[in-house]
Amino acid sequence: MASWYINRTFFFDVHPPLGKMLIALSGKLSGYDGTFPFEKPGDKYDGARYQGMRLFCTTLGALVIPLTFLSIWEMTKSLEATFIGTLLLLCDVGFMTLNRYILLDPILLFFMSCSIYGCFKVSTLTNDGLLPFSPRMLSWQIFLGTSLACTMSVKFVGLFVVLFVGLRTVADLWNILGDLSKPVKFTITHLIVRTLTLIVWPFVLYVFFFWIHLTVLSKSGNGDGFYSSGFQARLEGNSLHNASAPRVLAYGALVTLKNHRTGGGYLHSHHHLYPAGVGARQQQITTYTHKDENNRWQIKPYNRERVEGTVVVRSGDLVRVTHAPTGRNLHSHRERAPLTAKHLQVTGYGEDGVGDANDVWKIVISGGKDGEEIQTVRSKLMLVHYLQACVLTTTGKQLPKWGYEQQEVSCNPNLRDKNALWNIEDNVFDDLPKVSFESYASGFLERFYESHAVMFQGNSGLKPKEGEVTSQPWQWPINYRGQFFSGSTHRIYLLGNPVVWWTNLAFLIIFFLVYIINSIKEKRAEAFGVSRQVGEGSLLLNAAGWTFIGWALHYIPFWAMGRVLYFHHYFPALVFSSMLTGILTEYLLSSVRSYLSPELGKTAYHCIIGVVISTTVYSFYLFSPLAYGMSGPLASEPNSTMAGLKWLESWEF
Amino acid sequence: MDTGRCVKNRKINKIRKEVTEPQEYSYSEKTCNSHREVGDGAPAENETEKPELMLTNKMNHSPSRIYLQLKIDVIAIGLLILALCTRLYKLDEPRHIVFDELHYGRYVSLYTKGVFFFDAHPPLGKQLLYLAGSIAGYDGNFTFDRIGTPYTDNVPVKALRLVPAVSGSFLVLITYFLMLELSLHQWTAILAALLVLLENCFLAQSRFMLLESIQILFGLCGVYCIIKSTKRIGLTALVWLCAAAVLLGCCFSVKYSGLYTYYLSLFLVGRHIWLQLDQIKSGTRLLFSALWRFAVLLIIPLAVYVSVFYMHLSMLPKAGPHDSVMTSAFQASLQGGLASITHGQPLHVAHGSQITLRHTHGRTCWLHSHAHVYPVRYADGRGSSHQQQVTCYSFKDVNNWWIVKRPDQASLAVSRPPDAIRHGDIVQLLHGITSRALNSHDVAAAVSPQSQEVSCYIDYNVSMPAQNLWRVDIVNRDSEESTWDSIRSLVRLVHVDTGSGLRYSGRQLPAWGFHQHEIVADKVLSHQDTIWNVEEHRYTKADDRKERERELVTAEMIPTAVTQLTFWEKFTELQYKMIAHAPDAPHGHMFASEPAEWPLLVRSIAYWLSPDSNAQIHLIGNIVTWYTGTISVVVYSALLAIYSVRKRRACEDLPPFVLNKFYETGYTLFLGYWLHYLPYFFIDRTLFLHHYLPAYIFKILLLAYIMDHIYLVLQLHEKTKHVTNLFILCVTIWLSYIVLTFKKFSVLNYGNVDLKENDLMSLRWKDTWDFILHKKI
Repeated sequence: MASWYINRTFFFDVHPPLGKMLIALSGKLSGYDGTFPFEKPGDKYDGARYQGMRLFCTTLGALVIPLTFLSIWEMTKSLEATFIGTLLLLCDVGFMTLNRYILLDPILLFFMSCSIYGCFKVSTLTNDGLLPFSPRMLSWQIFLGTSLACTMSVKFVGLFVVLFVGLRTVADLWNILGDLSKPVKFTITHLIVRTLTLIVWPFVLYVFFFWIHLTVLSKSGNGDGFYSSGFQARLEGNSLHNASAPRVLAYGALVTLKNHRTGGGYLHSHHHLYPAGVGARQQQITTYTHKDENNRWQIKPYNRERVEGTVVVRSGDLVRVTHAPTGRNLHSHRERAPLTAKHLQVTGYGEDGVGDANDVWKIVISGGKDGEEIQTVRSKLMLVHYLQACVLTTTGKQLPKWGYEQQEVSCNPNLRDKNALWNIEDNVFDDLPKVSFESYASGFLERFYESHAVMFQGNSGLKPKEGEVTSQPWQWPINYRGQFFSGSTHRIYLLGNPVVWWTNLAFLIIFFLVYIINSIKEKRAEAFGVSRQVGEGSLLLNAAGWTFIGWALHYIPFWAMGRVLYFHHYFPALVFSSMLTGILTEYLLSSVRSYLSPELGKTAYHCIIGVVISTTVYSFYLFSPLAYGMSGPLASEPNSTMAGLKWLESWEF
Repeated sequence: MDTGRCVKNRKINKIRKEVTEPQEYSYSEKTCNSHREVGDGAPAENETEKPELMLTNKMNHSPSRIYLQLKIDVIAIGLLILALCTRLYKLDEPRHIVFDELHYGRYVSLYTKGVFFFDAHPPLGKQLLYLAGSIAGYDGNFTFDRIGTPYTDNVPVKALRLVPAVSGSFLVLITYFLMLELSLHQWTAILAALLVLLENCFLAQSRFMLLESIQILFGLCGVYCIIKSTKRIGLTALVWLCAAAVLLGCCFSVKYSGLYTYYLSLFLVGRHIWLQLDQIKSGTRLLFSALWRFAVLLIIPLAVYVSVFYMHLSMLPKAGPHDSVMTSAFQASLQGGLASITHGQPLHVAHGSQITLRHTHGRTCWLHSHAHVYPVRYADGRGSSHQQQVTCYSFKDVNNWWIVKRPDQASLAVSRPPDAIRHGDIVQLLHGITSRALNSHDVAAAVSPQSQEVSCYIDYNVSMPAQNLWRVDIVNRDSEESTWDSIRSLVRLVHVDTGSGLRYSGRQLPAWGFHQHEIVADKVLSHQDTIWNVEEHRYTKADDRKERERELVTAEMIPTAVTQLTFWEKFTELQYKMIAHAPDAPHGHMFASEPAEWPLLVRSIAYWLSPDSNAQIHLIGNIVTWYTGTISVVVYSALLAIYSVRKRRACEDLPPFVLNKFYETGYTLFLGYWLHYLPYFFIDRTLFLHHYLPAYIFKILLLAYIMDHIYLVLQLHEKTKHVTNLFILCVTIWLSYIVLTFKKFSVLNYGNVDLKENDLMSLRWKDTWDFILHKKI
């Protein structure tokens, strides 16, 4: 991806641009020239200078650890909790594997950790009673806002951390509000400052990153097809760049019609008939994504062959559309479409533009009024069949071999189909003055908006196919199955350190129980007037509660997602989960300690901490080959170096 | 429901009359009771539930006289009659198949005939329809082929539609009681009931063989009982809770969306226990009260659900059109169908057995091979072994037969006694028609290159030896020694040389493989696509190849044991299939809608269009109620936020009882609404407006509650007190407007009026509503 930035060619990806831009920047600085193709995993870097980019990603990934340390410290002020939480993350093999390569995840995790740290710092400062406009407060808030914007601009999962910070901020404001010694105005100033620094500022940054993205990528590339004509007109090297055409559509003009769905092709026909058994044996109509002479159509009034002079086509007019190279009319009739049973077939019919009443279409601007002029590129058109009252659509399904694997065009009786919108791209008509395409080219905001629409569509389009093995959310916390990172001789396998992961899992459940029991106890104590000492315990439990919320926010939404999921989606949640384990261990240990005599308590406490640390470190040592690379036979065979470590049947190393 | 018998002290013994003026608010349970004793028109039902109290009253005041009196709640009866009138009016018109009657009617026919079918929804609703049909003497001989087909005389349309219609009518009644139970004013309860009564979408949904009204009725009754139970203690609470549990079980046995109502009830009970925490001092009593409540709520609905399925399975003993969805074992347990083929086939697979191997879970297909080879090079340039193709074929075919052979024995005839194959044995599988052995080797498979290719071995003399030994792993074995049984045993065939398992990959082969499904050998054994079972099975008698082929083509059975499945096995399998079943509903249905469009009633659903006039039926809401409902949700959220902030700043604007009611009643309804609505945003399926109805009824209740709340707040302050009359006037005007809209749109519910084009245009209040017009030609 970084190569595209360095070569400045336009591409399409489902993630926002910041992560890729940073990688490209680090590549550029370390002398990478953008020529390596990056085709598939396992390819050798033949002399390409990838080290700089890798170093950059790994550094960011490594910085997550100290940031986590600081965050837990900020929350609990307990060295033991902080230490254990961070150690778990440090000794996780999967976390290390993920952070060692040129991926978006280390960058995402880095910014996410910055946000978490910033968030807790801000809330500590608030609790200390700092005024909203004090420089320290303000600078931390801006730091938090910046990290949030960066997280969001690397991957959309950054949205969850935004939610987390949002919740935390609401909780802070709620606390301030509850302080009856301060006037309401005080809360409102806090609210305003936070809106500015945590909503407005990140949004501005986010838009700015997109601005860079769209400005840097000024050349035409392989991602063009996903975007509309107006978007493409901005790209150097695209045929629409610097082209010119009349502004409005007139009868007799030669045009190409582009479908408005993302990746939609041009309305196309060719000298081939639908095969026997597929509706009427008339000429095929398809959509085709490449530019071709066969995409040209001529617009005529429905009752005459030609019009004298220049008559502009208006919305609501009845027209015939003739395929220029073959002279057949766009036609539809009561036969089922080749692939979509409920639609009608669309064919090319007639000789040299002479056909029948089924060739009449009503041309309508979507959302416009009757009588509006039809404009090149700008107008979204619908072609409604006059007799059958159906609308020309492309279903996006590929025709079999007889249709050259182009896409099906049909007539849909449902006039609200979103795939029924077309726009005119080329428009050849000599009697009207030509306008440069530059004037149609969309402005930055339109392009910003469109690239989001396309990204979301791309994201939701990533559906698992039947029979394909996808990773499912329930498998993640139990470390059920990993993910292959590289080839067969020097194997790297992304899998969490089972000791760490299973401990985390257990502590999530323990937390749930502890929390319920504690709140029941509290409620009863309050009601029956039994005094309970509130101390460090409640601080720890509160911190644990927040990390639990963070974990839930980064994990549960995946259950509701329809797209393809991967194992590495769990890692942001893992950060929270490790923090929770650290904090809760300390909480449990200190409450156990309070039941024992001071001497015994101290000994037990130190023993347990020692055991925890040594187990974690040893398990890291055991599983580290997963990250540093394994060779030799698979672990299922007895002579492998990893024999005996295959604790679960489902692990594939 | 409508009448209550009660022993009570002397004063009131006349039939109650409807009150004409709103009484002043009764501010607590206590005062409320005292009011009732004077007889101011509170419903009688509430009193019937307190026999102990009444009894003590009687003891104290009038020990000598005992009256038995009959009380009738005129309001309730009136509402019910109104509802029945609207719902039952010309119920058998139109005598055509309307919308989903197509499916439900078909299921009723299948029930009548006892033929097994598969549906992704639980069966209770369909069983109720069937019950009505069988009482009316329906014989099941009508093919529900498409929407709009006229019914013949043998279909008791009226009886079938009666079930939803009556449920829909009682829905009005239960809203009334539910609102009273939520301790709201009687007028509010009447208002809520009227709103439901005058709601076109409930009318349309109740008049046809559809399940929503049944589901909502069960759900609301369940919630009603839950609330009753939380207000009482001891045995009465238990009785109400059990009733609630049964109703809720019924609710989600009609449609799975009933589960949301169940969650709401769990929440209500949980909240009740939470509130008890600081009231009951004894820890054991508290624990006990929590335990029995959750036990009842967990066990009874589940028992209801299971017994509904028990009935379902015992009502449908015959094989039918959906058999192929189920596993061989399941199919074989039905009468006819596969059972008639496999009936009497030998049980133990032995050396020389002729078998068909079915892919057990997921897509139905059989291990298949044919006399065509893999192409030398694939489209992407990779090479293949050029050996005979092995595929998974979805239809029965003579090429699906395989012969099990022990590697060391030459003769294929089954010895006597048969040499049974056991778990862990090594076998070869010979393809019946071509006599080639099932083989796998280190060549990438055609479509899934990460797995090994599976072929039938042809020796090309290219130093590629046969690797045709497979180990039989019986997945559901009882012991290590267990035999390989036909139908019952689930086996995994593990390739001996590489340790890979024979697996269905889920992908289709291109044209050279006749678009059949790909078979591979995969390293990951635990995948459920590696599981196979023997479906048809017989012993080879002749040793000669020609003879064997003749045997295959003219199949003939040797009678022995029959397959039996227990109820639990069938139940779990059916559940699994229902969960895994991905509905291939047509995407982009003309009248499908998005959850986000529902609150503003963007789309309607066309249910039926008369073949010869423009009379038509639509599912469309009463737009006035609909919009005010949406506003009420916004108002409630806003009030919730304002009140919380005010409370946080320690400003007490409202007396605690108003606020408590705002939280408790409001929460129930507000949460009920979101619980039934939000999940649809995450469902990746074609959705329709009628999915919104369970949420919508909570919204109507919330709307009525908001009215109540505003009235109450206006009453509280001296300054605003005089505005209350104005408010009542507004509500009356609004209500009459609702009546008018209801009347105007009811033509689209009854479908008995031929609408002219301009009539339709005048009904088309929103551009996005699509009505249908016959074209005049």
